[in-house]
Amino acid sequence: MSDAIVARDLVKTFGRKRALDGFDLTVRTGEVHGFLGPNGAGKSTTIRVLLGLLRADAGDVRLLDGDPWRDAVALHRRLAYIPGDVALWPNLSGGETIDVLGRLRGGLDPRRRAELVDRFELDTRVKGRAYSKGNRQKVALVAALAADVELLLMDEPTSGLDPLMEAVFQEIVREAAAQGRTVLLSSHVLAEVEALADRVTIIRQGRAVQSGSLDELRSLTRTTVTAGLRDGDAAERALTALAGVHHVRRDDGHVTLDVDTASLDDVLAALPAFGVQSLTAHPPTLEDLFLREYSDELATLGVREGEPR
Amino acid sequence: MTATTTAAPTAARAPRPQHVGALVGTRGLVRVALRFDRWRILVWSVAVAGLTQVSVDALADVYGTPESRAARAQLISSPAATALAGPGYGLDDYTLGAMTANELGLWVMLPVAIMALLTVTRHLRAAEEDGRLELVRSAPVGRDAPVVAGLVAALVGTLAVGGLTYLALLSTALDPVGSAALCAGIVMVGLVFAGVSAVASQVSAHARTASSLGMAAVGVAFLLRAVGDVRGPESTSVLTWLSPFGWAQATRAYVDERWWPLLIGVVATVVCVVVAFRLVALRDLGTGLVAERLGRTAASPALSGMVPLTLRRQSGAIASWGAAVVLMGGLVGLLAGAVADFVESEATLGELFGDADPVAGAFTIYAVFLALTTAAYAVAAVGAVRAEETATRGARVLAGPVSRAHWLGAQVGVAAVASVVVMLVAGLAMGLAGAGSLSDPSQLGTLLGAAAVTIPGVLCVLGVAVLVYGVAPRLLGLVWAYVAYVGVVGMFGALLPDGSDALSPFTYLPGLPAEEMSWPPVVAVSAVAAVLVGAGFAGFRRRDVVG
Repeated sequence: MSDAIVARDLVKTFGRKRALDGFDLTVRTGEVHGFLGPNGAGKSTTIRVLLGLLRADAGDVRLLDGDPWRDAVALHRRLAYIPGDVALWPNLSGGETIDVLGRLRGGLDPRRRAELVDRFELDTRVKGRAYSKGNRQKVALVAALAADVELLLMDEPTSGLDPLMEAVFQEIVREAAAQGRTVLLSSHVLAEVEALADRVTIIRQGRAVQSGSLDELRSLTRTTVTAGLRDGDAAERALTALAGVHHVRRDDGHVTLDVDTASLDDVLAALPAFGVQSLTAHPPTLEDLFLREYSDELATLGVREGEPR
Repeated sequence: MTATTTAAPTAARAPRPQHVGALVGTRGLVRVALRFDRWRILVWSVAVAGLTQVSVDALADVYGTPESRAARAQLISSPAATALAGPGYGLDDYTLGAMTANELGLWVMLPVAIMALLTVTRHLRAAEEDGRLELVRSAPVGRDAPVVAGLVAALVGTLAVGGLTYLALLSTALDPVGSAALCAGIVMVGLVFAGVSAVASQVSAHARTASSLGMAAVGVAFLLRAVGDVRGPESTSVLTWLSPFGWAQATRAYVDERWWPLLIGVVATVVCVVVAFRLVALRDLGTGLVAERLGRTAASPALSGMVPLTLRRQSGAIASWGAAVVLMGGLVGLLAGAVADFVESEATLGELFGDADPVAGAFTIYAVFLALTTAAYAVAAVGAVRAEETATRGARVLAGPVSRAHWLGAQVGVAAVASVVVMLVAGLAMGLAGAGSLSDPSQLGTLLGAAAVTIPGVLCVLGVAVLVYGVAPRLLGLVWAYVAYVGVVGMFGALLPDGSDALSPFTYLPGLPAEEMSWPPVVAVSAVAAVLVGAGFAGFRRRDVVG
């Protein structure tokens, strides 16, 4: 009961392409789980398997203690889905679309619906074919978020939203989490996941390459330390020699280095010898974590790690 | 450095006048459009040419003697038949050619007109609506270039259809000069509606509205010609001259060819294209001349559940297909009296109408014709189900607590019920008109029954479409080939080799009113339809859903 989603060794092939290749995912009940990966890594395939739209070729999936393929209808009463690319019925207005989808699940709370329409500033009279990308997305958001469900499956839910609406979205997801709902949030927007997620899973070529809380993931990697030092030359030499220190670079009096978590004590102990004038340290951002998993791909794309982006 | 020196003169060149720039990039777009359409064009050409040739051969078989053709001429000159045929040139010496031009021509022009107008909306409005055109126009491409590319694609398509049909007709006994006039008329009609569609594509921001406007234009043109020809034979009514179909038929193909009516079509096409260019210059990309109306802020209480949703989506299609079938039913009903007279004067028609009462035989074929049109609606409705899935709207509904059987069942159910209702209403129209025309009230029940008994056949075709959709949705387009096959064997079955009609459900159903009613085949065909639908559902439940 403590895990809303458990997937083990999922395999799904489309022709010759292995979209999922032994993928594992665990989403605990009540958490916001970030799901990261570039286009084509298998995020949407995973969500479609979880929705029972696709049937996995191998592996086990449990969703809300049911089989997403066999028990689709019963499970779907307890979850809502927001796709990243929303197609609406061309001749139905946004308001009609929200109501039709709501009534298919037995009706929406009218107050909740009105509140969401208001917060997302959605004009519900516009016909589906006349909405812009961002407004189509809002229709899907209102339709899904107005439903009283335990689990929200979101596949790039904020694509096309402006920064104001993005902020509204984040607030609503926090409210949902506070109410005890479970959220699986697949996204390209790393800042959004960093702001919302308790735990993240990074997928690469159909496999989970990292999974855990942001703190856990950070502890697996390096902290970036920048120090203003009186004796920069000696410091650069000495620090480069330390174990667990990487990418030492110098910019006049400032030395910047990436430090493995285990070596932080050594680095901090060594610094006073060179006359510390200023010191900043920041843990790896989610972007750093994510890009690290893709460092070889970045290299083939001609982007060097550690360069300002 | 060399880059700057070579680039400088280009940048310094004075801006070109706009009317030249508006066509920049046309050649590239034309190539893309033709590459897009090559298979479509091939399939349309082969289908239209093949069906035309088969039909001409069938007419040659059935009406082999001058006497039979004279009798046919008498039949076709009745108002109801004229409405579905042509202006009736050469009725006094009704050769095979005159018959082809008068009775077949319209039915070849009609699909070509629809093909041409859909081609243009696809390349103009659909591309603009889904944003492709924005991408294209951000490149050095003038604003008229996409319009020209769409029109060229339609031009190549109609020329291919017309050309291949001409080649096919050369293999028949028909006079090549007359065939040239007939095919030139077909091409001309296609071009006019391509032009009309280019204008319609400027009016609304939506491809669906644009193609509906184009289809409405085809309908109006069809009606103008029908009313015109009924009021004044041999193109003597003004109304006939307001319709592109009227211009094409006014070439008097195979009778006494004249070519100048084709010029009207060319002029009309040019006018439409010029107007389209003007309108393109007037409006912003992505907008129409007529703004979209706003809808309701909330759904009415009735719009709840899959069936009302499907009805809302499909009501336009059901109404237009239904109206067409019911109208045809009424028209063939009105023919009853003329058929009776005709058959009395010509006894050799048994070959086409079977051995029994030829009037009844005629209505057996008419009923199958109505059923075929309804079956085409049913297949189109399954196509709409697939469109719902590929547009990912299906996935979103199925992500709610809606089972696959419920989702597919509501849509197939609506198509099935609509087909049944349309056939019954069309049968009623045929029966009422037939009873009136023959002054025989008993015909009402007879003809209604003739239409009703074909319903299991319609459902069987629907079942084939559901099966293909459920098991191999990508092959759904091939079901149209099956519809064409059922159509050919349904219309000309008696003339084709034995057994070639074995795969058509209408082969097995009792051909009322010519044959006796017999329940076992009705039950059997209904059972086959149910099995096909069931297998389709089973397949759909097992496969992946797109989106």
